[in-house]
Amino acid sequence: MSTDQDLRSVNPPWLALRLSSWRVPEPDREYLIGDLIESFHERRVRYGATSARRWFWRETLNLLTARWPETPNLPVDPPAEASMDSLLQSLRVALRSLGRAPALTALVVATLALGVGATTSVYSVARAALFAAPPYPRSDRLALVWERDKDGSESNLGYATFEDLSREERVFESTAAMSYWFPTLSDGSETTRIAGQRVTWRFFDVLGVKPMLGRGFMPEEDRLGADRVVVLGHNVWKSRFGSDSGIVGRDITVNGVAYRVEGVLPPAFESLLAPGTELWAPLAYDASLRWACRSCRHLRMVARLRPDANPVTAGQLLDATYGRLKGQFPNEYAGAGTVLTPVHEFVVRGTRQALIALLAAVGLVALIACFNAANLLLGRALRRESEFALRVALGASYRRLAALLLSEGLIIAIAAAAIGSALAVIGVDVVVRLAPMGVPRLDQVRVDSGALMFAAGLAMFTGLAASVLPALALLRGGLEGSIRGGARSLVGSGRHRLRGALVAAEVALAVMLVSGASLLFGSVSRLLAVDGGFATGNRLSMELDLSGPRFNDSGAVAETWRAALESVHAIPGVRSAALASQIPLGGNVDMYGLHLEDRAGANPAEDPYALRYAVTPRYLETMGIPLRSGRHITDDDRERAPPVVLLNEVAANRLFPGGNAIGRRLQVGGGDGPQRTVVGIVGNTLHRALDREREMQVYVPAVQWGEEGGMTLVVHSDVAASSAIPAVRRALRDVVPGVAISKVATLERLMDLSTADRRFALALFAGFAVVALVLAAAGLFGVLSATVVERTREIGVRTALGAQRGRILAMVVRQGMVLAGTGLAVGLFATWGSTRIISTLLFGVGASDPVVLAVVVTSLGAVALVASALPAWRASRVDPMIALRDS
Amino acid sequence: MNHGLGEFEQLVLLALMRLGPEAYGVAIRDEIEQQTGRSVTVGAVYTTLLRLEDKRLVATRLGDPTPQRGGRRKKYYRPLAAGRRELTASLNALRSMTRGLTPGLELP
Repeated sequence: MSTDQDLRSVNPPWLALRLSSWRVPEPDREYLIGDLIESFHERRVRYGATSARRWFWRETLNLLTARWPETPNLPVDPPAEASMDSLLQSLRVALRSLGRAPALTALVVATLALGVGATTSVYSVARAALFAAPPYPRSDRLALVWERDKDGSESNLGYATFEDLSREERVFESTAAMSYWFPTLSDGSETTRIAGQRVTWRFFDVLGVKPMLGRGFMPEEDRLGADRVVVLGHNVWKSRFGSDSGIVGRDITVNGVAYRVEGVLPPAFESLLAPGTELWAPLAYDASLRWACRSCRHLRMVARLRPDANPVTAGQLLDATYGRLKGQFPNEYAGAGTVLTPVHEFVVRGTRQALIALLAAVGLVALIACFNAANLLLGRALRRESEFALRVALGASYRRLAALLLSEGLIIAIAAAAIGSALAVIGVDVVVRLAPMGVPRLDQVRVDSGALMFAAGLAMFTGLAASVLPALALLRGGLEGSIRGGARSLVGSGRHRLRGALVAAEVALAVMLVSGASLLFGSVSRLLAVDGGFATGNRLSMELDLSGPRFNDSGAVAETWRAALESVHAIPGVRSAALASQIPLGGNVDMYGLHLEDRAGANPAEDPYALRYAVTPRYLETMGIPLRSGRHITDDDRERAPPVVLLNEVAANRLFPGGNAIGRRLQVGGGDGPQRTVVGIVGNTLHRALDREREMQVYVPAVQWGEEGGMTLVVHSDVAASSAIPAVRRALRDVVPGVAISKVATLERLMDLSTADRRFALALFAGFAVVALVLAAAGLFGVLSATVVERTREIGVRTALGAQRGRILAMVVRQGMVLAGTGLAVGLFATWGSTRIISTLLFGVGASDPVVLAVVVTSLGAVALVASALPAWRASRVDPMIALRDS
Repeated sequence: MNHGLGEFEQLVLLALMRLGPEAYGVAIRDEIEQQTGRSVTVGAVYTTLLRLEDKRLVATRLGDPTPQRGGRRKKYYRPLAAGRRELTASLNALRSMTRGLTPGLELP
C-alpha cells in the first residue's frame, strides 16, 4: 500500500468533512465535527476504513438535510454603550445572523439587486433623454419659433417671415433660421452623403457654442455667392480628416465643389435640433429670392430669448407681429399665430411618453422586488420569533432588536446597491442596443455618478423598507408567550395576513406589467398586420445623390438617371427598377399645395396639401402600388408632353367627391406651375408611419417636374432583396462614378424600423412582466409553504379525522387562489386606471380588450396554480402520525 | 406554559442522566443506540441538544482538545433542574396515559 492510500484511509473523506463543517452552524461546529472524527476513528479500528468512510458519508448527508434551529449566540447583548460601538456591534451581529441563512440572504440580495439594476438602467436612459438640460449655455432661454396653423399644429416659416419676426427685439436676443441639407462629401476615393444644416450666420451664437478651431460664420458669408464655407462637426473632422488641426482655411469637396473650412466644433457639441448633423454652411438667403417668400414655409427658426422676456408676453408680442403681417399679406398667410417651443421640450416630446411609461414599468418591477424581499425577511423574522423572545428575556431592548433588523437591512441594501449597479452597467448596454433611433441623446447614456447615486438610494430605500416591515410586524405583535413555544406553536395566528397582503400586492403589480406587455403585444401585432399599401417582398431601396459641377445642367442629370436605371435593369434577376423623389416610410416628407383649376380659392395658402412624388415610369409597378383606374405614368410622358398627374384614392375622393377625377386639371405647388391633367387613380400608401392616417398623395413624372439631383432608387428583383444589393451598387458605380449611395435598405427593413419603438417598449415590458411573474410566484410559493409548515399539526388532525387528500390539496390551492385573485382584481382595476401612461404606444387596443384580459387572467392563474402546487402537494402528504407527534 | 418534550428530547435527557459527567455527543449517541437499538446520527443528537440548550434545560462545559478529535474540544452536557422537571413531567404524563393499558401495550 502506498502512503497516499494510507493517508486516505486513516482520515475521514475530506469532501464529506468539508460539507459537514460548512453545514453545521458555528457555535457547535467544533464539538460536533470533533465527535464525528472521533467516532470515525473508533469505527475504523473496529470495522475497517471502508465501513467507517461509508458511515461518515451517511452522517454528512444526514447533517445536510437536518433542520437546524435558529441558534441565538449567547450572550449577545452587552450593556448598551456609546452609540458608535453599539452600531458596530449591531452590524457585526447582523452580519453573523445573515451568515447563518446564506441562501435566504442571497435570494433577498439578488431580488433587490435585480430591481435596482433594471430601474437604474432605464433611469439612465430616461435621464439623458428626458431630464438632462440641453447642453447649451442658458438653454432655458432657447426656443424654436413656428407658425401656428388653424388646427393648432406647428409649421415651418418662410424666410421673409423669419426676418420680420427676428426684428422683435423686445423678445429676442438673437435668432437664426435653419434648413436641412444633405450634401455629399468627397475625398480622394470616396463620396458619401452626410447630414448637414444650412443656417443663418448667427446660428452658433444663438446656441452659445464656440468653434474649437477657427470661427463661426460672418454676416458677409451669409450671402448668395459668398457662401462656399463650412463648419465641421467634431466627428467628421476626426473620421474624415484625421483630426487635422491645420484644416481651417483649407478647401474640401462638398457636393462636388470646393468649400473653405472656417471652423471645427468642439467634441462636446451635440446637434439636438438636427440630430446627426456634421456639416454646417450659411443659408445665404435674402428676401428678394424666389424661395425666400412668405409662403415658402420650409425653414425652422431658433431663438435665444432676452433674459427679461416672459414666455407669455413674448408669445403675445409675436402673435401681434404675425397678425400685422397677415393683414399686410393676406394671400400669403393662412395660420392663426405663432408658437414658441422651448428647446428642451422640442427634444423630449417625441419620446417622453414612451420613456415615462417604461420608467413607470420598471418602477413597478422595483416595487415588486422590494415586496418580495420584505416577504422573505418577514418569513424569516417569524421563524426567528423564539430567538428574539430569548434575546428580550436576556435583557435586549426592543430598540436593540429593531436596530439588529435594520442593520441586517442596511447590509442587504449595500450588497444590493453594489450588485445592482453592476447589473445596471450591463442593463444600460442592452437598453441602448435595443433602443430605436428616435430616443434622443442615446450616445450620452451611461451609468455615471448620478445613476450610481440613484441606484444606491433605491437600494437603501427598498432594502430598509423590506427590513422595517418585519421589524414593525414583530414589535407590534409582541413577543410574550413565544419564548418557550417557538414560532411553530402560533398556528393560525393573523401573522400571515401581512405576508398575504404583500403577495397580493405583488400579484397586482405583476398584473399591471403583464397587462402592459400584452397591450403592447396586441398593438405591435396589429401594426404588423397593417397594409402599407405597397409590396415589400424582394424589394430594396437606396438614396442616390449626384453632385459636382457636371450635374449643374438638368439635361446631364436626366441623362445620368436614365443611364443608371438602364444599368440596374440590365442586372440579371432584376424585374423592374424606378426612381422616386421620396418613398413611403423612407423618412422624407415633401408636401405641396394642390390648386384645382376650376376651384381657385381666394387664398391659395389655404388650399389642401398632399404628399408629392416625382417618379420615373414603372415606379408604381415596382412598388406594387395598384392602379385603380385610368393609366400609369409611361415613357411617353416626356418633358414636353402634356403634364399629367396621378392621384391616390384619398386625394381623388377628397378633391373630386363626385368620382369623376380623371381628366380634371390641377396645379401642384407654387403659383406659376403648369396645370396637370389627372390620368390615373392609384391605391393609398402609408407614408410617414404605419399608425398614421392615410393622406392625399400625388404622383408626377420626374421629367415633367424638373430633375432633382437626389432620388431614391427602388428595385424589385427575383431574388432576396439583400442579395441583390452588391450587384446594384456595382452597376451604379460603373455608370455614375461619383454617385453617393446612402440609406440602403430592403423595404421589409423599412417596415421593421417603423415598428421599432413599439417593439423596443414591448421587449422591455415583456422582460419586466416575466420578472414580475417570477417574483410574484416566488412570493406566493413562500407564503403558502410557510403556512403549510405551520399548519402541519392541523393538517395532520384533519387527515387523522378522515379528510381526503384532495380536500387538503384544494384547501391550500384555494388559499393561493384567494391571494392571487385579490391581486388580480386590484391589478386589473389599477391597469384600467393607468393605461393612459402607455396610450401613445398603443395601436388599436384598449385596456378593456377581451383578448388582453384573457391573457392576463390565464397567465396569472397559471402562475398562481404552479406556485400553489408544490406546497399543496406537500400538505396532502403530511403523515398524521408524524404531524401529531411533532417534536 | 408547558409544551412538553419531544420523544427524542426525552431520550437525550435520559442519556445525559445515565452518562453523568461523561455526556458528550458521541457518548450520548452510543448510549441511545445501545439502549434502544435504534440507529441514531450525531447530527440528530446535536440538533436536539441545541434545542434543549435553547429552552435552557441543559448546561454545558468544554473539555480539552484531543488528537483523536483532530485537536477539537469536547462539549459536555448536563441536565439543569428545569430539564429534570420537564423530563419528570413528560414521563409522568406518559405513565398516567399508559396506566391500565398494560395488556394492550405489552409493557414489562
